[in-house]
Amino acid sequence: MKNISILIFAVVLFLSSCKPAIEDPNYSKGEINPDRFLMIGGGHSAGYMDDALYNEGQLNSVANLIADQLKLVGLQQFNQPLVNPSSVGVGLTGLSAMYLNYKTDCKGVSSLSPVRIASSGDQSVFSDNLYSTTVPLGNYGIPGLKLMDVNSQNYATSNAFFARMASSLTTSVSSDATATNPTFFATFLGFEDVLEFAKSGGIQSLPDPADFQAEYTTLIQNLIANGAKGVIGIIPDVTEMPYFTTIPWNGLNLDSANNTTLNSVYNPIGYFFNLGANPFMIEDTSANIFGIRQILSSELLLLGLPLDSVKCYQMGVLFPLRDEFVLDNNEIAELRNKIEQYNAAIRSIANQYNLAVAETGAFVSNLKTGFIYNGVTVSAKFVSGGAYSLDGLHFNPRGNALLANEFIRAINNKYNSNIPELNAGAYRSILFPN
Amino acid sequence: MPIKNLIFLFLICVPFLTNAQGFQVNFQGQKQQAMGCAGTALYKDGASLFFNPGSVALSNENSINLATTPIIANVLYTDAASNTSFRTKNPVGTPFSAYGVFHLKKLEQLKFGLAAYTPFGSTVVWEDNWIGRFALTRLKLQAIFIQPTLSYRITPKLGIGAGLVIGLGDVELEKDIPVQDSTGTFAHAKLSGKARSVGYNIGIHYDITDQVSVGLNYRSKVQMNLNEGLADFTVPGALATNFPDQKFTGSLPLPAVATFGIAYKPNSKINAVLDINYVGWSAYDTLGFDYENNTSSLADTKSPRNYKDIVAFRTGMSYKVIEKLELRIGGGFGFSPVPESSVTPETPDANRGYFTLGAGYEFNKHFSIDVSLYYTQLKRTATNGETNLSGTFRTKAIAPGFGLIYKI
Repeated sequence: MKNISILIFAVVLFLSSCKPAIEDPNYSKGEINPDRFLMIGGGHSAGYMDDALYNEGQLNSVANLIADQLKLVGLQQFNQPLVNPSSVGVGLTGLSAMYLNYKTDCKGVSSLSPVRIASSGDQSVFSDNLYSTTVPLGNYGIPGLKLMDVNSQNYATSNAFFARMASSLTTSVSSDATATNPTFFATFLGFEDVLEFAKSGGIQSLPDPADFQAEYTTLIQNLIANGAKGVIGIIPDVTEMPYFTTIPWNGLNLDSANNTTLNSVYNPIGYFFNLGANPFMIEDTSANIFGIRQILSSELLLLGLPLDSVKCYQMGVLFPLRDEFVLDNNEIAELRNKIEQYNAAIRSIANQYNLAVAETGAFVSNLKTGFIYNGVTVSAKFVSGGAYSLDGLHFNPRGNALLANEFIRAINNKYNSNIPELNAGAYRSILFPN
Repeated sequence: MPIKNLIFLFLICVPFLTNAQGFQVNFQGQKQQAMGCAGTALYKDGASLFFNPGSVALSNENSINLATTPIIANVLYTDAASNTSFRTKNPVGTPFSAYGVFHLKKLEQLKFGLAAYTPFGSTVVWEDNWIGRFALTRLKLQAIFIQPTLSYRITPKLGIGAGLVIGLGDVELEKDIPVQDSTGTFAHAKLSGKARSVGYNIGIHYDITDQVSVGLNYRSKVQMNLNEGLADFTVPGALATNFPDQKFTGSLPLPAVATFGIAYKPNSKINAVLDINYVGWSAYDTLGFDYENNTSSLADTKSPRNYKDIVAFRTGMSYKVIEKLELRIGGGFGFSPVPESSVTPETPDANRGYFTLGAGYEFNKHFSIDVSLYYTQLKRTATNGETNLSGTFRTKAIAPGFGLIYKI
């Protein structure tokens, strides 16, 4: 009996050991010092999403997600200027965050749309004062922060998101950030500069590339003064984002009666319509003496377009779309040309100061095409693409995780580190109502 | 929506495709399992109905053989990019086999046989929230193959046999769908259905000398068809019309296996066997699912598989320590039919070696028992061409088997 007991014991031991063992991951920080990590950027870095800064978004900010991985190679602490978890958030225009729910349009049709969580944003966010010398912030991602403002004194007076975390009203982002004495940094700047132009339909101006390079150089010189290494993100082509790609140029659907009406109105000035899909009418002072024309297939309509006015009140039809809702071909060309020049400056700065470059521009381009990540199709398609938040410009948590991975890959490539990427599929995407 | 493999391996002793998941390793006879899963040229017991119906003709016994082989199989997946690891939490699989062979006294050269066995009978369950959840969360395969067989002894040294294989299978495949409801819960798909299939198993056995025998066996390809599959989707209410519950059809070819076997009996105590399998896995080029109602979110799928034909070697020997006790040992090696881009959570297959042990004891001229133990481990690093899952599957499988034989 004793022998049998031993045999059974041996068999049980053998069987229970029958599990593959996890191998040692061998994470390493390589040539970087992750002790004090800092990120400077705009909305993406801040965790701005669904058109607001709110707690869940901040927890899934690009900066925080990069920090989460840096914690695996030695980063101890990463502090963010967090909004209260119960807050409905507040956006650049003062509104609350959005979520996906049913909305009834002017024709009485109910469909899934981004809807504000609350009727107004949480203005109390701006009465926070989160600056602390003892617990220094690591996330200097600030909604609306343009590269051209990063070194500006008195910036807290013009950006309330900075005011709640700034050391004083007179300080600059650059000097507050540098004062934390970072050992490693990431910057993702310039996007807000081009976004301002793009979101205004090309009405606002774009910075001069030489000025852009000078400002960025000043910032980097400040950041590396104490020997910090870093990674710089490339500016994505904002026109590849859902805010600019969702409303189709030929979204004007005409029935027989409207087709007849429009042809009788517009044929005399040379514009023709057909049954079904047609280009919208837009304002363009250079088009003809009436200053209107049909939009071209390569031109873009902004998601800010008041869709009810289009559906029910002849906007884009008898009342051409105003310039602020359209990026015409000239504006798109100017925008892309400038982005190219800014990115050339970024690459040259990275080269000069021996910094890693995160290919965040290629990432946004790849999203436009769409790709499959661990069985999940992600693309730039609004809502269903699964990467962007409901504002069509900032990512949802999953998109931020994918973007953070671009930074991590760049760090690993440049600094011989082995920092694991995030499992982006574990982060939430758009939530659909039950 | 890519839906993955349904049914797998089949009719091969220890699939070199332990198609994972199942680990539906096909354990078809305790003696043969203990001897490296070889035995095409050697009649050991009624399990020859599976290995070579031709061998059965050379036996002169009427017997019933019952066996089970619990399979403990665990897979660990480590994602290359995030280095996160996930495990299966499979229940223990319990495949069984039953063989009966008998002849009429007046007609000894004609043997009747009936075999029933479970070629899968196991379940793969991945841990919650695993990184490949959109490829597979659970796969349950249950099948019973029934094989009525006739064998005929043409001369005292030459036997032939043929069996009809009738496969009855139940399949349940589950995976998450990458859309989330307001609480963040992912949508889920469950596909289930019954597969019916028919094939055959033929063989010839020849004793060249008293010491050396050879066998040839051919088990046909079997097309497993799911004609009345049910697709059950649990999705957020807002997307219910995109994912209507409905019927689907799918099909999977299970490959033909041709085996050449040789057996050597240098004396009355020792048996040595070698089998060489050629498996027609190239029949598995695509896995398709055809939904009755396609929607913008639910398209028919055609997943490339592009498996290759492969060869496997299996060998083993037995030694009679005393008249009543026989010890057995064996092992084998098989090449993986699965190209890198087709490696999936159901089939984290790799070139594989395995090792077997066993023993048999005869209590009297009627009763005997056999035990066996099978062990293998696999490692496959691959990037799937469809899901882009990129990482390393590590598999360990151990299967202790137990069988009873009653000779009339």
